[in-house]
Amino acid sequence: MDETPLIRRFLPYLYWLIGLFLVYFVVNALIAPYASGITLSVQIVIRRLIEIGGFLLAIFAGLAIIEVYFYQIFFRQPRTILTAWIVRILQGVFAGMGLLMVLAFFERTDLFRLQEGLLRSILYFPNTLVDGLRSTLMGIGLTKDSSGWMSGVVLIVIFAGLFFLNHQLTVPRSSKLGMAYLLVLPAFIGVLVLIIYPFLFEIKLAFSNASLGTQATKNAQYGLIYGWNNLVTLFTGTVAKDATFFEVLGRTVLWTVINVVFHVSGGMALALLLHRPMKLQGFYRTLLVFPWAVPTTIVAMALRNEFDSRYGLFNILLSNLNSWLVDVSQGMVSVPVLGEMFAWLAAHIGPVSWRQDPFWAFVSVLITNIWLGIPFMMVIILGGLQSISHEYYEAAEIDGASKFQQFRHITLPLLRPVLTPAVILGVVWTFNKFDVIYLITQGGPQEKTDILVSSMYKAAFSFYRYGFTAMFALVIFVILLAFALVYLRVSGGLKSVTE
Amino acid sequence: MTSTRFSSLRRALRWFFVRSRGDSPFKTLLIHLALIGASIIAVYPVLRVVTISLRPNDALLTTDLRIIPQNATLDNYRTVLFGDPTKNRQSDFFLWLWNSFSVVAVTSIISVILAAVSAYAFSRFRFPGRSAGLVFLLTTQMIPAGMLLLPLFIMLAQLRMINTSLGLIIAYSVSSVPLTIWTLKGYYDTIPIDLEEAALIDGATRFTVFTKIILPLSSPALAIAFLFSFMGGWSEYLVARVVLQKNDLYTWPLGIFTYAQQFTVAWGQFAAASVMIAVPVMVLFLYSSKWLISGLTLGSVKG
Amino acid sequence: MASVTYRNVVKKFGDVVAVDNISFHVEDKEFLVLVGPSGCGKTTALRLLAGLEEVTSGEILIGDRVVNDVPPKDRDIAMVFQSYALYPHMSVFDNMAFGLKLRKMPKEEIKRRVYEAAEILGITNLLNRKPRQLSGGQRQRVAVGRAIVREPKVFLFDEPLSNLDAKLRVQMRAELAKLHQRLQTTFMYVTHDQVEAMTMATRIAVINSGRLQQIDTPQNLYDHPANLFVAGFIGSPAMNFFAGALHMADGKLVVETDDFVLPIPAERAVQYQKYAGRKIVFGIRPENIHDVHFIPPNIHGERVNVKVDVTELMGNEIFLYLVSGKNSFVARVDPRCRLRVGDQAQVVFDMDKFHIFDAQTEEALR
Ligand SMILES: Nc1ncnc2c1ncn2[C@@H]1O[C@H](COP(=O)(O)OP(=O)(O)O)[C@@H](O)[C@H]1O
Ligand SMILES: [Mg+2]
Repeated sequence: MDETPLIRRFLPYLYWLIGLFLVYFVVNALIAPYASGITLSVQIVIRRLIEIGGFLLAIFAGLAIIEVYFYQIFFRQPRTILTAWIVRILQGVFAGMGLLMVLAFFERTDLFRLQEGLLRSILYFPNTLVDGLRSTLMGIGLTKDSSGWMSGVVLIVIFAGLFFLNHQLTVPRSSKLGMAYLLVLPAFIGVLVLIIYPFLFEIKLAFSNASLGTQATKNAQYGLIYGWNNLVTLFTGTVAKDATFFEVLGRTVLWTVINVVFHVSGGMALALLLHRPMKLQGFYRTLLVFPWAVPTTIVAMALRNEFDSRYGLFNILLSNLNSWLVDVSQGMVSVPVLGEMFAWLAAHIGPVSWRQDPFWAFVSVLITNIWLGIPFMMVIILGGLQSISHEYYEAAEIDGASKFQQFRHITLPLLRPVLTPAVILGVVWTFNKFDVIYLITQGGPQEKTDILVSSMYKAAFSFYRYGFTAMFALVIFVILLAFALVYLRVSGGLKSVTE
Repeated sequence: MTSTRFSSLRRALRWFFVRSRGDSPFKTLLIHLALIGASIIAVYPVLRVVTISLRPNDALLTTDLRIIPQNATLDNYRTVLFGDPTKNRQSDFFLWLWNSFSVVAVTSIISVILAAVSAYAFSRFRFPGRSAGLVFLLTTQMIPAGMLLLPLFIMLAQLRMINTSLGLIIAYSVSSVPLTIWTLKGYYDTIPIDLEEAALIDGATRFTVFTKIILPLSSPALAIAFLFSFMGGWSEYLVARVVLQKNDLYTWPLGIFTYAQQFTVAWGQFAAASVMIAVPVMVLFLYSSKWLISGLTLGSVKG
Repeated sequence: MASVTYRNVVKKFGDVVAVDNISFHVEDKEFLVLVGPSGCGKTTALRLLAGLEEVTSGEILIGDRVVNDVPPKDRDIAMVFQSYALYPHMSVFDNMAFGLKLRKMPKEEIKRRVYEAAEILGITNLLNRKPRQLSGGQRQRVAVGRAIVREPKVFLFDEPLSNLDAKLRVQMRAELAKLHQRLQTTFMYVTHDQVEAMTMATRIAVINSGRLQQIDTPQNLYDHPANLFVAGFIGSPAMNFFAGALHMADGKLVVETDDFVLPIPAERAVQYQKYAGRKIVFGIRPENIHDVHFIPPNIHGERVNVKVDVTELMGNEIFLYLVSGKNSFVARVDPRCRLRVGDQAQVVFDMDKFHIFDAQTEEALR
């Protein structure tokens, strides 16, 4: 039917391939003199590609099998009573196997644990089958790696056969919602594995004494009493090593409020400055979004050194300012009030110890995070401003409204649909955002710059208090959920979200 | 003579102040001064990184504030890229980039594929569980990034996937999938349903409608979603630190942190590596910021 | 080629009954126009036929086949949407060829059909463009072209002209009528514009709040509206209505309203005699009310005293907005008429051309 020659159709791919090879050879030739100093080798690249390719294949093959299974359930029905029996039994066995595999996965990951015995071997029956297949394949002379691949292929062939059989025994039927569920299924499985299951696991963990001492979940004990202990420790003991819960909670609120206030007011100020017909507007806007464009990790690590007491930017500026003030005050010793004022300033403004002084350490992370967050708000608000029609302002001008009244009665109300969700998201994000803190101060000194989430991170991955951390995480989650619910109550429900 | 001088000055001033009719020249001047000040604050810390990357190794510790340092040199760049033969040190820079790229690209591919399909169902079908699902996906954005990390970490440990790239891919997908679904659903909602009905009547099945109409029409949104997801993972540090502990698997944030930890020795190399990583990312970001923002408002603000 | 049958079709959206027990039959090669005010359920009725909605109860047949459970793609229909619904990412050619490609038609045949349709519609030079590079009228043609190439059994149109400007609409009206002549296929056409319906249809189905009011040829619909709604909906300006009653006075049948009494001519009185004493609505079209100076010959005229409220000069005719007591109504009179706003005058009702409806049931009395 398609009479374009094969070669023509594949030409673009061919070009790409040739192009890639050329690039590879050029790059290779260019770095050849230095290549001995570079650890990334072709072998590493290829090994990773195989690893990831296999992973992707496995995921998509698994999803495809599940999809076909549900497709046949939704869209095919058996022809006769007899075939109905065969088909339903096949499907039942399939579902049973799937269930067993899921349960075995739970067992493997320690959601629950079974003693050696009949129950456990039933649970692992599908896995045993696969292992058996693999060892047979190894028996007939395959290597360990290729037997893995081959058993995958064999399994897929078996499934394909079963599905084909099922297909032959059934006739089509229509289903209204089948399509919708088939489409949602992959994401649903993903969310189940990635979010719901870890969440359940977390709850379980919260009621345990898991820690480094118990080798995580291996020797951990579970029970309400451990949950209670974790809760008591959380509220009365230390959250990571030094700080207490309420101290950190207070700091978190402070952190969130200060950040969001500065983000919104700074973003608003810049947006209002930019939102006018003027030269160089695009230029300024580009420069002003710089902090957002640079990867946060880089900024944080760079600024971490800029807070150095001697060679960091901030103290250089402060000490320059100080020496200027000293000069001025010496020149003005005789001037009555001004002289005293400058002397006072010279005595009080100068380099600070960003690392050792808890207050200044907290200021340093605040400065960084505020600097990082303003561009986002600026851009959002600018977008909102641009969507407000000029005519409102013209009408207000005719009505004799002052600039401030215009801002108060036109700009602010009309920005609300943009601003409200941005602020809400800003609050949640800031509450949870601790990469800046972790990278600049690591919570120090003495955890005086920690917020809840960074304490939790440290409790888990620096102090290995797993059970405690899980409870901690649940408490944080409850706080956020309460905030969200209050917000939803205030803003009038979820209607707008799901429509 | 003087009059021509003034007229050119006047012309320059008029160029500057023209079109800002509503504002007095003085006010315009103030506005420009404020914006210049803000721009300097926004850009200077970034430029400092470039400055430091250009400093010769013996002049790292200085209180100099110039943007181009004295005796500027590219030595740091060479060391970062190709190692330091004199000290018999190899360079991991490309390895880190490759590690980051492979992990983040696969995460983005997985989430865009999963989301492209399910977002369509959320946008077009009214099925029991739909609103619950959407609200749930939104709620997951409230879950602190670190919160599911612990159970995920233990889970991965049990499956022996700690210290593998696959483990990191799984961990990154947690936050990426729900957000991508939201972004794409927002976009699908803007495609008129008429088009699909026309195709149905033209003889398409639901599946052909999806592949021949919806997917081609939403290719810009798919690109945005991919970019979103990619940007989200590209410079991630905290999760990677937990999942990866082997040097040869390090993503670049982990990698350059090893520089940043040693203040004197490697500050210049850290800066050079940062510049080389940040510049492409910033170019991409500034180039695509329009879409990113509209995607953001589509996905999160508009719902 | 096929007929279309609706049998007791009901469609509910939750509590809203969009289509309420509609039954009618469309012959093969007919041009049927569904007309009614907006929100009355026309589109829904059409979408049921297309298979884009499922009926709540009843049956729809294309030819002899019940299509209730047939998916749209297998119904062998083509539809032109109000928004045109052109695929934005495909060229005009690909838009038109899409349905044929899906049916795995040979390339040559696709090309032939697309070019033929493009020829008919005069869009051959646009085939390589994308929809966004077209004007409204051109898009409309492409949408029609996309339907033609499929050579379906039934064409469906949902207000295809409503996005065009007035002039283009008149032109497209004629072209669609011509197209129907040429293709000799069944057309189902939805519009809220009774002028469109009158000019194009072989038959018109009038729908109001989901119910079929009347289905007939345009002329019959105009001359013999089955009820008050149809009478008011078809014709522009709309028919004038006066509430009143039928009486016998001096052995003659008269229509008595609050402000005037009109004797009914003998030959029509026979027909209405049996309704004497009933409360009725008296209807007369604006063109059947004349200025006293320009009465057509050989009519049974009855004079009515009026005051002129507004006059609208249309060039070839004049619309007089008249008041008589509590009633206000419109007359469409000869352009030579000299009446001016505020004049007290007399107009003549043509008593051969009136309509009478039951005040209670709103049905026409026959
Ligand atoms: N998908 C739907 N869901 C709920 N109500 C609908 C839907 N489609 C149409 N309706 C309702 O059905 C009635 C008829 O609509 P429609 O057929 O579009 O009218 P129109 O005659 O203007 O084309 C209207 O009251 C409309 O609100
Ligand atoms: Mg309609």
